[in-house]
Amino acid sequence: MSTYIVTVTAADRVGIVYSVAGTLRDQGGNILELSQTVMRGCFTIILAVEFPSPRVPQDLARVIAERGKRFDLTVAVIEMKPEPLEPPVPNGERFILTVLGADGIGNIHGIAGCLAAHGVNIVDLHARADGTRFSLIMEAFLPPDLAPGTIREELERFGRDHGLEAYVQHENIFLATSEPSPVRVGPAWKTQGDAVAPH
Amino acid sequence: MHRTEDVLATLGMIRQHKLDVRTVTMGIDLQPCAAPDLTVLCARIRERLLQYAGRLRAVCLEVEGRYGIPIVNRRIALSPIASVAAGHSAEGYLEVARTLDAVAAEVGVDLVGGFTALVQKGWTDGDRRLIETLPEVLSTTRRVCASVNVGTTAAGINMDAILALGQVLKETAERTRDQDGFGCAKLVIFANAPTDNPFMAGAFHGVGEPDCVINIGVSGPGVVKAAIEDLQTHATTRLTLGEIAEEIKSTAFRVTRVGELIGREVATRLGVQFGIVDLSLAPTPQVGDSVGEILQAMGVVRIGAPGSTAALALLNDAVKKGGSFASSSVGGLSGAFVAVSEDSALAKAVEVGDLTLAKLEAMTAVCSVGLDMIAVPGDTDAETLSALIADEVAIGVINHKTTAVRVIPVPGKAAGDRAVFGGLFGEMQILPIHAAGGSADFVRHGGRIPAPLSSLRN
Repeated sequence: MSTYIVTVTAADRVGIVYSVAGTLRDQGGNILELSQTVMRGCFTIILAVEFPSPRVPQDLARVIAERGKRFDLTVAVIEMKPEPLEPPVPNGERFILTVLGADGIGNIHGIAGCLAAHGVNIVDLHARADGTRFSLIMEAFLPPDLAPGTIREELERFGRDHGLEAYVQHENIFLATSEPSPVRVGPAWKTQGDAVAPH
Repeated sequence: MHRTEDVLATLGMIRQHKLDVRTVTMGIDLQPCAAPDLTVLCARIRERLLQYAGRLRAVCLEVEGRYGIPIVNRRIALSPIASVAAGHSAEGYLEVARTLDAVAAEVGVDLVGGFTALVQKGWTDGDRRLIETLPEVLSTTRRVCASVNVGTTAAGINMDAILALGQVLKETAERTRDQDGFGCAKLVIFANAPTDNPFMAGAFHGVGEPDCVINIGVSGPGVVKAAIEDLQTHATTRLTLGEIAEEIKSTAFRVTRVGELIGREVATRLGVQFGIVDLSLAPTPQVGDSVGEILQAMGVVRIGAPGSTAALALLNDAVKKGGSFASSSVGGLSGAFVAVSEDSALAKAVEVGDLTLAKLEAMTAVCSVGLDMIAVPGDTDAETLSALIADEVAIGVINHKTTAVRVIPVPGKAAGDRAVFGGLFGEMQILPIHAAGGSADFVRHGGRIPAPLSSLRN
């Protein structure tokens, strides 16, 4: 089996997912995972697709773009290496980091810099500026020997100069308050980068 | 990815509406410490507290950091000392209290409960000695909290004990005159006392509990008030009380779940059993952290006006329902506290004359505790204080519920004067007691009010 990561962007229109998924089906591809969003009118989709035999990434991208010509798709395809990737943060635990405050150039760069310096791996990130307000929510894996307080202090230090407040909380508190399933403690069930496993 | 709305809703409860874990209370069985030699008894108590609670502070700080939610207090609840120290003299009980005070400071807890006697059906020599020592214990120790259970639905009401406790309150208040009788704030007199209550001053580690257990008290009146106000802001038509009750329920669910998560995490890290989570809307003097403000958000603008009791009943019941759905480990008191001096809106209602002692007593019939943190005139006679206790205990005993009394006769001050307890204990205008002294003969009868009938309940 050969696995490819496919990304498609275009101006948002009805029928893009239908077109892309149809092309992949006709090519014999099985979609393993998919994430799609519309950001300020721009459609973006990322898929992990498995094929029974190897494909040439550029050819696959061209077929998808041609089938969706009326949408003017921008397509990129890369091959995933067959060996499983090592998690960037072995034995890390999933935390939710929230940063709220004033919008400013370089906010995300500064926040990401604090995290990178401490070996924190971001696995999911949403941020937006709404007028002068900035909000960012991310899921990130903290190394087991890194106290959440340390990263919070780092972010707060950055936030003080930029009008931002930062919160670092283990994801279990959000599971506990949002879902009726039994409360549990300990590490997250989901693996790093795995966005579809049940919470 | 977690839904942005869920993340922001939970975060908003903590950062804007003062949701916190009010207390992580470790219950410890002290029965194995009993010894005829006082030195041995105190040494065993110290050793056992250090064994179980030595890491409590550090673990709470770790868990606080992990989840980003404040754990405001760490406390210890102990087996009723009246039986642990049975056979010792009054001086022995005092020495035990001093030991508890010192070890509590050593392990970093702000209060230790369990200087307790359970006397609903009668009292032992140990119970009597403990009660005799209360004024000195409450006035000379800083962290020791006391409670006495004087009635249960099964046993009736011990009026001899209640008569003695009226005198205890007078003496304790006098010994702490320079603090407006604050010593009385550390004594709770119960009917149907729960054995797993994590909230002070009435927490103790009851019979039937394990060697060591972690119980959690979560609060969050600000969260409930904000939820009701938010619901009203977005409603297109006038809300029904059923809709308000549903909103309180779902908010109570979220708050209770936070408590259970923290409790289980602390217990796991300490290697002890998790007990219960008690969601009690416990106010603090801060604006926005008030049960009274919830009633106002529901439309009872003047607390104490007709309708206050019904609103409180709705609130208390919805909190219990939400908590019960959230967790199978709900216990303690679980409901709404109407602790007057600790609740800025209730204290204000007293000040403007809307909230009276009689109305408060009626409200306690439907809330989770009783006459709590109420300052009364310092010249109130002991028998009247006993009668006040008896009334409140009767409400609990007849209605199969917990009630409690924490009243403070403020020495040298009269109705309308201001009593100031400071910190989380707040302040309030002293409430008058109408017809004080008019029931002394009743309480002087002593004896026991028999247990009530459990059938024909109309």
